[in-house]
Amino acid sequence: MSSWSVDELIYWDERICETAAGMGLDWFDIDYEIIDYQEMLGAMAYTGLPTHYRHWSFGKEYERTHTLYNLGMTGLPYEMIINSNPSIAYLMTENPLSTHILTMAHCVGHSDFFRQNRMFHYTSPDDIISKFKAAAKYVRELIEDPSIGIDEVEKILDAAHSIKYQVPRTPGITYKSRDEWTLIQKRMMQLDPTYHVDLEKTPFRPEYNLLQFISEHSRNLKDWQRNLITIVEDNSKYFIPQALTKVMNEGWACTIHQRIINEMEIPDEYHLAFLKLHNQVVRPHLGKINPYHLGFELFQKIIKEEGFEEAKLIREVHNDMTFLRNYIDEEFVREQNLFTYSFKKPHKYHTIDEIGDQYGWKSVRDELIKNVGLSRVPVVYVDDLSKDFTLTLIHEHDGRDLELKYAQRVFEYIQQLWGDKIKMVTEIENEVWEF
Amino acid sequence: MSIFREHKSRVDRAASDRSRHKKKIEKAIKESIRDVVAEESIIGQNGKKKIRIPIRGIKEYRFIYGNNEINKNVGAAGQHSIRRGQKIGKKRAAGAQGQGAGEAGNQPGEEYYDVEISLEELAEYLFNDLELPDLEKKKFRFISQESIKRKGYRFKGIRPRLSKKETIKRKIRRKKKAIASGTYDPSSGERFPFHKDDLKYHHIKPKHKEHSSAVVFFLMDTSGSMTKERKYLARSFFFLLYQFLRYKYEKIEVVFISHSTEAQRVNEDDFFRKGAVGGTLVSSALDMALDIIDKEYHPSSWNLYTVYCGDGENWSADNSTAVKRFTQLKESNQLTVYCEINENLSATYDDSGIVDTAGSGTGPFDWANASAWKDEDTGALWGALAPCADKNFKRVVVAQPAHIWPAFNLIFGTENQ
Repeated sequence: MSSWSVDELIYWDERICETAAGMGLDWFDIDYEIIDYQEMLGAMAYTGLPTHYRHWSFGKEYERTHTLYNLGMTGLPYEMIINSNPSIAYLMTENPLSTHILTMAHCVGHSDFFRQNRMFHYTSPDDIISKFKAAAKYVRELIEDPSIGIDEVEKILDAAHSIKYQVPRTPGITYKSRDEWTLIQKRMMQLDPTYHVDLEKTPFRPEYNLLQFISEHSRNLKDWQRNLITIVEDNSKYFIPQALTKVMNEGWACTIHQRIINEMEIPDEYHLAFLKLHNQVVRPHLGKINPYHLGFELFQKIIKEEGFEEAKLIREVHNDMTFLRNYIDEEFVREQNLFTYSFKKPHKYHTIDEIGDQYGWKSVRDELIKNVGLSRVPVVYVDDLSKDFTLTLIHEHDGRDLELKYAQRVFEYIQQLWGDKIKMVTEIENEVWEF
Repeated sequence: MSIFREHKSRVDRAASDRSRHKKKIEKAIKESIRDVVAEESIIGQNGKKKIRIPIRGIKEYRFIYGNNEINKNVGAAGQHSIRRGQKIGKKRAAGAQGQGAGEAGNQPGEEYYDVEISLEELAEYLFNDLELPDLEKKKFRFISQESIKRKGYRFKGIRPRLSKKETIKRKIRRKKKAIASGTYDPSSGERFPFHKDDLKYHHIKPKHKEHSSAVVFFLMDTSGSMTKERKYLARSFFFLLYQFLRYKYEKIEVVFISHSTEAQRVNEDDFFRKGAVGGTLVSSALDMALDIIDKEYHPSSWNLYTVYCGDGENWSADNSTAVKRFTQLKESNQLTVYCEINENLSATYDDSGIVDTAGSGTGPFDWANASAWKDEDTGALWGALAPCADKNFKRVVVAQPAHIWPAFNLIFGTENQ
């Protein structure tokens, strides 16, 4: 059926690993699962994780990908790798050897990024698979428990999923504990009699981890419900670093696969296929941002100007936000022909707002930063928990208004989890809006 | 050094989540149906037309930013030259994309998760739990379809009909016997091949499917009092009914009768579109239906259904005649329905379906004595029909589009029979 053998894969893997090691990369060992198209769809639906808890949304995702693929609207990804030690990656049986070579080189790039980038330092890749496995088992047991059952489990998961991105976005930062904070505040109040804070306030600083806060402070949840919320929260925390580095991660992997292939001197028959695939991956998407393209081009620019060693340093310390802010300049915006656009309500169509010239490039860059990864997700934090268990949530308005219909639904979900009164405040068209 | 693992057997991990998702869609479709059945776009369509059903609850809601002037998007223009203020169409952007055209599922405006189903499928969702009351097989049977059915096994047959299961069963049986009798030693490693006598074939038999025939009389009041809104409700109700009957019957005929003071047998178009003028004589339409039944559709050969839709504002002098005719219809019909359309009735159908149709009067709202009308007299038809009401004669009220489905359920729902 396939035109290649596992021995060939092993041969190429060895060469790829040698080349990558020669470039000073340091990645996790990779376990490649050779799977067919159906299994690839399955793997994609569960974000590549071999063990994941059950939820209908993954079935929906499967159907969506399946439909798009059948309609020819999307190609299956030729690469899929997860952040674990060893990294688990998938190779699709139907693909030709040239694709596999590229995929493996690409995976080395990702695995190196997972291991080196500081955003990932707290994802505990060594035991993540067993963690997910335990969570999946727990959820399955709840579903099978006759006193709970799938409907009750879904109620909690549906609601928790609606705020799954409402977790802290600064991995690696440890905050002061309540005791430490209290000590500091007391000291400050002693030094300055005019300074006053309420030491009893909960939370004592804006709490960005909605899931954790709700599971800890709600007085209406059963233990298994709290555990479910924690499972969703753990899940989110694991994926946050990936969402924070989508552009960098893909850009780096593309940079690495290109360098490895070029250094390996591969036969012409593969080379052409490789070029075709590579260009397909890193081409710009008209009217959209292709993270592969953006990341790849920016890394190319950095390597050209500052060398590969500098690029390696950058892949360690940056995330998308800082990466784009630091390295995008006027020339880059112009060359990539980036622009901002928005929907004009009175006309009912989109028009271009700013383009990459000397007046507009900064605005384009800033909007771009707002539009990658987690910057697309509004920030909502817990401001206050009052004595009567009223929860006050505030949307951190950064100039962009919420989509109210969606927000209203999410508000209802939070209410369902919390079980007591909730106040939620945002700003719509420059006016305060309370749900 | 990496490890390569080939999967020997395929595992369909997503199977259970997919079926769960499917169940959710089906449930959501059933829930959205109240809105869908009253929608203009599906009414009057044939079975091939695809209907978009908006589904709530399947969507995964998150906090997202709205699509407006404050919230800017960023795109790459590739080789195209661009300028400020340039209009960019969604179509062009989508057409030029190729890969990754699947919109990030969180686009605002995508309020509903739509499912496209054909009217036939819709009928399946709608009518699966419903039954035609008192369905009889009448004398005339229409052999409308021949299907082929497997029936038993034979030793002779053509290759494609080979039954592998039966064949292997016979081989195993033979092998066991051979071992027991000592003619074959399984530990010898010798093959135990199939024998020609093991082969068994499916036997097939053509089967005639028999179907009962049905005729349904659509009677509608087109008098001056039937406003556009009332006609719309009547039309929606008839449309649903028509779909339902067509779903249940292979062969179905519909007779359209519209009436004001005089009844007229009309075609479908005229039935729904003709202008409304004149007074109301309900009995005129009933007379005509009885006459047509007598001449064309003998009750011994046909399942008969008569559905009357009107606003109930009959001439009071005609009420007793109308009741008499209704009673006559009831005798020959499987089911007779009197559907009163009147938006002045603030009828509340809750999930338990609180309408007094069988004359039991147990509902929380006393329909039989309801007098929401200004003129007590004109409402009398509803009350006058109360004694007729039983499982073969049902009365329902439709005051707004949302009532259509509950009313329909009340008539055909199995729990109400």
